[in-house]
Amino acid sequence: MELIEHGWTGPDLEPLRRILEERYRPRDYREAQELIVGACQEAQRLYGWVPPSAAQLIADHLGVTANRVYGLLTFYADFQTEPPGRHFLWLCHGAACHVAGAGKIVEYLQRERGIVGRGTLPDRSVTIHVFNGCLGVCDLAPAAQLDHHEYLAHLTQERFEHLLHDLQNDGAAGGADGAVD
Amino acid sequence: MGRLTDRAAFETYAANAQRRWEALWEDRSWVISVGISGCSIAKGAEQTFQHLALLLADGHIPTVLRRVGCMGLCFAEPLVEVKRPGEPPVLYGWVTTDRVPEFVDTLRRGELPTEGVLGVRAFEEWQGIAPLQQHPFLRHQRRLLLEHAGVIDPESIDDYIATGGYRALLKALFEMTPEEVVDEVKRSNLRGRGGAGFPTGIKWESGRRTPAWPKYVVVNSHEGEPNVFKDRRLLEANPHLVLEGLIIGCYALETPFGYNYIGGEHALALRRFQLAVEQAYALGLLGDDILGSGFSCHVRVRTGGGAYICGEGSALMYAIMGQRGQPRTKPPRSVEEGLWKRPTVLNNTETFASVPLIVRNGGSWYATLGTKDSTGTKLVTMQGPVRFLGVAEIELGMSMHRLVFDVFGGVREGYRFKGVQTGGVSAGPLREDELDIPVDFDALTPAGAMLGSGGFVVFDESVCAVDFARYLVAFSRYESCGKCTPCRLGTPALVEILDRIRYGFGRPDDLEVIQYASKQIIELSLCGLGQVAPMPLLGMLERFRDEFIEHITEQRCRAGVCPMTASVSAIP
Ligand SMILES: Cc1cc2nc3c(=O)[nH]c(=O)nc-3n(C[C@H](O)[C@H](O)[C@H](O)COP(=O)(O)O)c2cc1C
Ligand code: SF4
Ligand code: FES
Repeated sequence: MELIEHGWTGPDLEPLRRILEERYRPRDYREAQELIVGACQEAQRLYGWVPPSAAQLIADHLGVTANRVYGLLTFYADFQTEPPGRHFLWLCHGAACHVAGAGKIVEYLQRERGIVGRGTLPDRSVTIHVFNGCLGVCDLAPAAQLDHHEYLAHLTQERFEHLLHDLQNDGAAGGADGAVD
Repeated sequence: MGRLTDRAAFETYAANAQRRWEALWEDRSWVISVGISGCSIAKGAEQTFQHLALLLADGHIPTVLRRVGCMGLCFAEPLVEVKRPGEPPVLYGWVTTDRVPEFVDTLRRGELPTEGVLGVRAFEEWQGIAPLQQHPFLRHQRRLLLEHAGVIDPESIDDYIATGGYRALLKALFEMTPEEVVDEVKRSNLRGRGGAGFPTGIKWESGRRTPAWPKYVVVNSHEGEPNVFKDRRLLEANPHLVLEGLIIGCYALETPFGYNYIGGEHALALRRFQLAVEQAYALGLLGDDILGSGFSCHVRVRTGGGAYICGEGSALMYAIMGQRGQPRTKPPRSVEEGLWKRPTVLNNTETFASVPLIVRNGGSWYATLGTKDSTGTKLVTMQGPVRFLGVAEIELGMSMHRLVFDVFGGVREGYRFKGVQTGGVSAGPLREDELDIPVDFDALTPAGAMLGSGGFVVFDESVCAVDFARYLVAFSRYESCGKCTPCRLGTPALVEILDRIRYGFGRPDDLEVIQYASKQIIELSLCGLGQVAPMPLLGMLERFRDEFIEHITEQRCRAGVCPMTASVSAIP
């Protein structure tokens, strides 16, 4: 926990606490268990990941153990239990994207960037998840989604390399608008 | 508007909603509707909307600017429908934000944009523009579930009610017993839309018969397959239709407890369904003593994220209960012991969406659609280089050839059709010479193909059969929950063999090993994921055997996809 060494004391838990108190009010223990995943999603939306202190807060709020929370955080591919990079990129590896060439990009990530499935670039600029499903925008295939809202269309390995390069130098994704390509 | 407390109050409310709806279309102001859905947002539809709002306000044009759902015409997004006073609504495609200024100018001059015209939403041609239903993509469809998709505002319960929504619920609550509802569903012969095609009425009846209490009714909106996106589009376009089906399902099971489990990635579908639930509560269509009928119903929305296996019935129930989503052995079946160990009826999103139609028009009517054993309509998505990429709704029994070449328009110029992968990751492909086969629940099976949830992938000659097979099996390997050995160790073994072949190190007996290992995985795995994981591979192998052999004996990949010459150390 390199962040702690840098004097970081953890996220501000107040917003999460407020959401939990407003909207996560189980009537019984069963419902409390049903709400764990949703609460973790709230945390991830707020912080970009689920920090240990947030997981503990959720556990305490719902009356379950932190272990239980971590069991779920590590089960679902979408949860982040490590601090993410500045950008978050979902590279679609659905069938349409695969037949359009996403497989090449996945292999490039593995070969040149050492990322298998998911990972963060060493300079912490981008966290990349290979999305093992369909992003639902197949006619943009191969497609990717940047920071949960911007879409990148018709990627090739070269365009993808450029994209990473731009993100590492913290430009926005140049020409990345799915709509224009 | 407070809660409606009886049937008459609903009737009054509905009549008002209908009047407002009709007035909207007869009004002197313009009505402009922009399709906002997961896929159109990706193509900038939200920007198009904002830009339109700005320019229409600037031009002092009195306009009702609306957000509607997805019509399934993903290939033409962003979609904008324009209705000027005294004219029928005309639908335009590809209205990206850069086109908006010219678009608005043309309209303001009283002219019609000539680019991207898709059709007029009317029965007859108007100003040389053909009716929308005659568009090649829509002409062969039978749109029942999608009837109002892209027309009503999915975030407005009034739009839904104005177009006949919640009528089926009223009919069920006030004119039918729960048994009669189940009978109607049985008569319709509706089969589950989530993959296996199990008869819905029979499932509901088993659920009724199990004596334990309470019972649960659950919608499966997980949709984690890598080649289908129909449920989320349906939820985005018409969430109340699914909700109405769910409430009727709860009534049929005589239970107040309904759930929808929605894949966490489907953010907009999740938001719109949640909103639909809130609106239904506010109006008294959910909650205690619905419209004074004595029936109560409470719906909870739950989500997970990024685990395909959570779509499997028992895994989904563990996931709802806040456990890791791993399947268990059956029996007991879920209708005997499901959520919280109580009888649970689980059906796919589309299955529930079909229920209001059945209740409203009768099971016998529904049974006349489609074929004898596969009744009704089915949402299908087709991916790959086809002309009209999107969501279609067809009557079951249409030939695969028509589906690929007429509905979806065949492959785009510059591509040569090689095959179509069927059944998601759970079955094999069909070649061009095999397409003369009805798309239904049973006909595809002898050919090693499957309707599944209706996700198909067309692939062309630039796709290597070995590589594609590897992709499909690797998906299952990645998503294996690891609970049972044949699947946990068997799927990686298959991937390893396929990688060997892809890198040019295939062995003469590899194809036999594949057959043998596949048989073991299929027969010994605990749940549906492992039991079908090798099917795409076996299908590819059967149809494109030459290609596999070329890879092994000549180290040649005719599609030029496989990294034949790479060194051994590059094997992942
Ligand atoms: C690995 C796996 C994943 C599944 N994913 C889904 C899914 O995402 N949506 C769905 O409706 N059914 C899915 N199913 C099928 C469900 O187990 C179940 O059969 C279905 O939801 C029942 O509804 P139906 O009878 O209306 O089809 C999946 C099955 C397996 C084995
Ligand atoms: S077959 Fe695979 S996914 Fe299913 S229980 Fe076994 S390991 Fe898990
Ligand atoms: S497969 Fe990538 S968006 Fe559908």
